[in-house]
Amino acid sequence: MDQKTKMIIVALAAIIVIGLAAFAFMGGFHDSDPTHLTVATHSNMAEPEAGFNPLTGWGCGHMNYNPLVQSCLFKTDKNGEIVPDLATDYSISADGLKWTVNVRDDVKFSDNSTFDAKDVAFTFNTAKDTETDLDLTNLKKVTAKNDTCIEFELVEPRSTFIYDLRYVGIVPEEYDNETYGEHPIGTGPYVLDHWDKGQQAIFALNDNWYGDKPYFTQINMLFPEESTWLELTKSGQVDVAPVATSALNESVDGYNFVEKSAGRAQGISLPYLEDTGKTSSAGAKIGNNVTADKAIREALNVGINRQKICDEVFSDHASPEFTSVDTREFANPAAKVKDGYVAKAKQILKEGGWEDTDGDGIVEKDGVKASFDLYYPPDYLDRQSLATVFAEQAKDLGIEVNLKGADWDTIYLNMYSSAALMQQTSPDPYKSIYQQYHSKEADDFYMNPNLYSNSASDKLMEEAMHSTNSDAANALWAQSALVNGGGWGPAGDAPWVWIANYNYNYFVKDDIDMGEQPDGLGNDFLINICEWTRSNSTA
Amino acid sequence: MIKKKYNDKEQWFIYHANLRTKTLVVIGLAIVIILSIFISGYFIRDIPTNFVNAMQMPSLEHLFGTDWMGRDMFQRTIAGLGLSIMVGFIASVVSTIISIILGLFSSFNKFADEVVAGIIDLFSSIPHILLIILVSMMFGGGVYGVIMGVGLTHWTPLARVLRSEVKEIMTKEYISLSENLGRNKVWIAIKHIFPLIISQIIVGVILMFPHAIMHEAAITFLGFGLPPHEPAIGVILAESMHYLSSGCWWLAFYPGLSLLLVVLLFDLIGENVEKLLNPETAQE
Repeated sequence: MDQKTKMIIVALAAIIVIGLAAFAFMGGFHDSDPTHLTVATHSNMAEPEAGFNPLTGWGCGHMNYNPLVQSCLFKTDKNGEIVPDLATDYSISADGLKWTVNVRDDVKFSDNSTFDAKDVAFTFNTAKDTETDLDLTNLKKVTAKNDTCIEFELVEPRSTFIYDLRYVGIVPEEYDNETYGEHPIGTGPYVLDHWDKGQQAIFALNDNWYGDKPYFTQINMLFPEESTWLELTKSGQVDVAPVATSALNESVDGYNFVEKSAGRAQGISLPYLEDTGKTSSAGAKIGNNVTADKAIREALNVGINRQKICDEVFSDHASPEFTSVDTREFANPAAKVKDGYVAKAKQILKEGGWEDTDGDGIVEKDGVKASFDLYYPPDYLDRQSLATVFAEQAKDLGIEVNLKGADWDTIYLNMYSSAALMQQTSPDPYKSIYQQYHSKEADDFYMNPNLYSNSASDKLMEEAMHSTNSDAANALWAQSALVNGGGWGPAGDAPWVWIANYNYNYFVKDDIDMGEQPDGLGNDFLINICEWTRSNSTA
Repeated sequence: MIKKKYNDKEQWFIYHANLRTKTLVVIGLAIVIILSIFISGYFIRDIPTNFVNAMQMPSLEHLFGTDWMGRDMFQRTIAGLGLSIMVGFIASVVSTIISIILGLFSSFNKFADEVVAGIIDLFSSIPHILLIILVSMMFGGGVYGVIMGVGLTHWTPLARVLRSEVKEIMTKEYISLSENLGRNKVWIAIKHIFPLIISQIIVGVILMFPHAIMHEAAITFLGFGLPPHEPAIGVILAESMHYLSSGCWWLAFYPGLSLLLVVLLFDLIGENVEKLLNPETAQE
């Protein structure tokens, strides 16, 4: 190699280094267009494995949120009311079995095909046959009467059907199961531009969007691990990032700490049935002789100090939760109990025949020690600390709780025979009450994980479902929490120990205006994305 | 004039003693430290949470600081090290037994020797961490899974040493004499070969310890071993990664340093024991 070649190589290297340094110095790889928005999602709005497909759960499955690419028949306005979106109006027949929905005639899909009633019928008929968390078993048939009118026939009346209409994103009739997830076509404000699996999805504006043009023309959606949320925020690479439980006391320059209520109830399910040696079809053991004793469940509900847990574990970003639906319009305040009342809890145990006879600090009854396993998912710090503190407080009452950190499959395999740390966030009483507390067979599904059953409560829930008046339905839902001294509230049969209502917290760049969002839906932080703006356009 | 009492080439020393005594003292001290960690770790159960004192810097009250639940990190670290030592001990015993069996088996005949060599090569060809993860998952995870995972994978170096040692012993005249006298292979292996490889085994076991402990920490760090409420060192270190960006350096620093110290202590014991057992250095 002669001198000249060497010189050229050195010069090139120097240029590259200086160039990179200058690039990094001037903002690096940061996207500087103010109309581009970068958001990091939390684990409840995780990257959809099967793609951005409502029929496999995007937006309407385990969790409900704005599907961006699709839009739904109804939407939630800033007051929390469900109002028409693709629909124009709807009516329910007197017997509650027929729902007739009229839809807009001026909407086009992102591939320029026209949206009509047949697409809606197709979406719901297909969703009904697909195995997802979306339960449409009560839907008998959907037919398109004409281009703008759809008729939904139900098996039995259901007051909560509006929530299904609210959250299922509409797909076109030319839907292809194989390719749709990666190349979604919808009527939503955005289209999927690019998807780096495992990292990010980039959404661009949908030119055919029928609503007002959103301020943000591009959304970069990142799917980071919880442990990197704070670093992402500190690096300034994101406009919105969730706050991990470990960072609740942190503040980051240039970001506002935004707290959103969500009715996210976290609590512990206690197996309701006695252990009689039965198993479920998947081989899960059923029943637990300790938690099947009402005295144990009651003592835990009364003895646990919820306010203390909210202040400590959640740094005051949570409120005490007693019935899992405390903040919803179908809550029943009478079903709550006074908690943090250790003396009363001990008295309940004593009256129930549980006494510490061998002096080890744990009570016994007929030779059975008051001891049970509590399964929790270790990937979530909030649930880990919640489980740890619950076990500590239970020990003060004389009840031993052994922690078991396990993956979800193991938790589901043990939930019928051991306590499990669960969470629920749904404004839909069908999910948050009916599926959670109505008696059922051990079907290995995660709703009603302790196999709670109470026929009086069941009856009220069924009546609430069949009601065609939402106020009457709400009253019935509330009653089912406490009926004749029973019911699923802690003052009733106390099948759960609900502990905290944990708000969703976000770091939001201080130049972002999130508009007005409804209360109680904090997990769906992009719910009104079309109203978001950035005030400081020099950023 | 003060006469120089000793020359500079000698090792530093606190008091006059020969190398043998010094080595014994070093070994003794190291063992006392490790035993005290192990025993105190055994008695630490349910470290109380105290959210008021969460995330505190190291202080006299909390030597290693506190974690996000306000638990004392010194207690957690000791408990974690205790668990690591326990896992290391059982895993080393399991590994040693496998090595001895294979080593002695290789003495039977040429074919047995080839089989043993093959098995050793097979196991050493699989990436270590991967194999540990697979085995520990096969045994259902948890403490038991980790012990079996580490125990069933750490025998290859020792088995290799024993095999070559056995090969050498097999060439000795008294072995062929014994064979000619009609003794069977098992008798020869136990009476003639085994006593001669004991010193290799002892050194091998002790030097296996640090490996086993490091690997236990590694797979719990990766999240394959123990659930996060168990105070294992790997779990503590993995957890600390969440808090580095909040500036909580002590969550990683002290537990990591403690792990390193324990591993070095075992290494120290191993080296010194070898010094004692090796006829060339034992009498210095």
